[in-house]
Amino acid sequence: MSLEDLKEELSKVVEPGDMVPRDYEKDGCLLEIKARADQVEAVAKAAREADCFLESITGVDFTNGPQIIYQFNSCTSISRVLVRVQLSRGESVVSIGSIYDAALWYEREVFELFGIRFDNHPDLRRLLLPEDADFYPLLKDYGKVHAFRSTEEIYGE
Amino acid sequence: MAEKEIAPGARVQLAVVEEVLNLCRANSLWPMTFGLACCAIEMMAAGASRFDLDRFGAGVFRPSPRQSDLMIVAGTIAKKMAPTIVTLWEQMPAPKWCIAMGNCAISGGPFEYDGQYAIVPGADLIVPVDVYVPGCPPRPEGLIQGFLALEDLITKGEKRNVLRRFKRRIVKGR
Amino acid sequence: MANEFLEPITEQTFFLNMGPQHPSTHGVLRLFLKLDGEYIVEADPIIGYGHRGHEKMAESHLYEQFLPNTSRMDYLAGLILNHGYVAAVEKMAGIEVPPRAEYIRVICAELNRISSHLLWFGTFVMDLGGFTPFLYCFDDRENILDILDRVSGSRLTYSYCRFGGVARDVDDEFITATQQFIERLRSRWDDYHNLVTKNVIFIHRAKDVGVINRELALRFGCTGPILRAAGVPYDIRKAEPYSIYSELDFEIPTGSKGDALDRYLVRLQEMEQSLRIIEQALERLPDGAIKAAVPHKVRPPRGDYYFAVESARGAMGYYIVSDGTSYPYRLKARVPSYGNLQVLTEVLPGTLVADTISILGSIDIVVPEVDR
Repeated sequence: MSLEDLKEELSKVVEPGDMVPRDYEKDGCLLEIKARADQVEAVAKAAREADCFLESITGVDFTNGPQIIYQFNSCTSISRVLVRVQLSRGESVVSIGSIYDAALWYEREVFELFGIRFDNHPDLRRLLLPEDADFYPLLKDYGKVHAFRSTEEIYGE
Repeated sequence: MAEKEIAPGARVQLAVVEEVLNLCRANSLWPMTFGLACCAIEMMAAGASRFDLDRFGAGVFRPSPRQSDLMIVAGTIAKKMAPTIVTLWEQMPAPKWCIAMGNCAISGGPFEYDGQYAIVPGADLIVPVDVYVPGCPPRPEGLIQGFLALEDLITKGEKRNVLRRFKRRIVKGR
Repeated sequence: MANEFLEPITEQTFFLNMGPQHPSTHGVLRLFLKLDGEYIVEADPIIGYGHRGHEKMAESHLYEQFLPNTSRMDYLAGLILNHGYVAAVEKMAGIEVPPRAEYIRVICAELNRISSHLLWFGTFVMDLGGFTPFLYCFDDRENILDILDRVSGSRLTYSYCRFGGVARDVDDEFITATQQFIERLRSRWDDYHNLVTKNVIFIHRAKDVGVINRELALRFGCTGPILRAAGVPYDIRKAEPYSIYSELDFEIPTGSKGDALDRYLVRLQEMEQSLRIIEQALERLPDGAIKAAVPHKVRPPRGDYYFAVESARGAMGYYIVSDGTSYPYRLKARVPSYGNLQVLTEVLPGTLVADTISILGSIDIVVPEVDR
């Protein structure tokens, strides 16, 4: 499946304005999708339809709330898609574990490192940290970091 | 009352027995197969073809703590792992020894910095360590040096370890 | 622990804890198994016993200071992770690398890939009960480490790649030693195949064991030899050629079924392909500088970047968010072993306990890489 198929699948679930083409030569991604928290499941389903696999789920913490980054790629042609979900503090996302099994562990990791809860996750235990850990280490107000910025400072929007 | 006193002669004999036992212990260390991170690979390399720990009588790696008398803490100790290491150490029968292999097991190494949340900086915080082998990771030669140092520690002095024949051979060659 | 996991299903149900200290779990992996007699009903890999907080560390360290961490994540193929990290930062900051440096990087990375596969070969066969191949492999592996030690000064955790090039130039002795090694390893294939591949006991323990087909591998995001053994020719070196891989001629070995034997054969063939790559790169090794002029501190422009390389275990990617300073704002390492290990939750149920060892060995995980 090519990137065109994926774009076609995705255009059914997100508005065309939220699909931003990226320069692959420069930053290694082909397409960026700005999704809302309630669109995540539909986007994941579309990616699954287009025969993509889930490369990773990760989070980034900003002053105006954490972001979750989903990355999908296909093993037949390069089609790395980056899905960016901006959350407000304390907001939760729907788990995509029923669509991609790989997401189960990634979501547990994001939960324990950023404190973002995933609704409908079957087993949201801690993964890397001890079971009794009561801190979210990758939040920028924990421990020593160089900078704590807002999204405007980095993406200039 | 007089019968219960230990005769001085018996005490001396026991001391000799203990020394002979120590000589045996030092030259047949049974380390535990127990790797934590990068250093474990160098530990394996030390036991494999080229470096061959069997030359020093320490090549019998045992997977069970109950059969081993030497724990090599080879790698970074994560906070999640620390209770397990203590349990393993307590499961080992005495007399037992511990080598802290690599900078992580000595002091946290490259992972110890202001704000680190995940590791225990140093094996000596949780188990008593006899020999420290620095390096990131130490080369197998370094680990062997650590083994020799531990053997000297057990026999209380290099000269008393009469089973270290290779040493004598070198002296003769000169 | 999820509650339904601990619910017994029959009277024979019992629980087995493997690890974190277990001779066949390759480090500090813990497997919690629910058994019905000898058969596994459910498996729960528990990870995190090697968690060192690499990603948090990146946020308070300079780009240069984080470089040594990369080879300590996957210490069996440290140079490939080094290569991926420096290539990612070079791409972000727009640094041009001299061709000689690219060739040296590829030669060393492929040597490292062979040494990683050799170690896997030895330990996999040792897990299945054969000790002799382990000694053979370590003998060959020591030769690679000698060569890499000569150029990088380290046996395992290299940090040999630098932004804009490599740390030290290679000399003629490196080239002759590498050529000798290629000949030596090629002469050993017969031994390996006679010792292991044709061994009936080995075949019985690996054939049809732990089948991971294409669909399952993609659901769990497995990459590398696992995906290739399922018949998918996906290799980042071909799919998104980085460095000089597009100029080199090599093949991607694939399997058909995706069982442990296929994964074994794929890795053996990969070693041969790596030898081919090294041969070609040595032939074409250009003269010239080994390091471009780079500023003392790199300051990549703002934005987020992703760069992937093919590590010995699969697709290794770095997702870096830069805020324009010399410190990364966020660095995420997408490690291949993560998905490769998670697939155990699906593969293990229904198999025998003894096959766990074979499946785990054939998957080839590095636990500190999973835990980071």
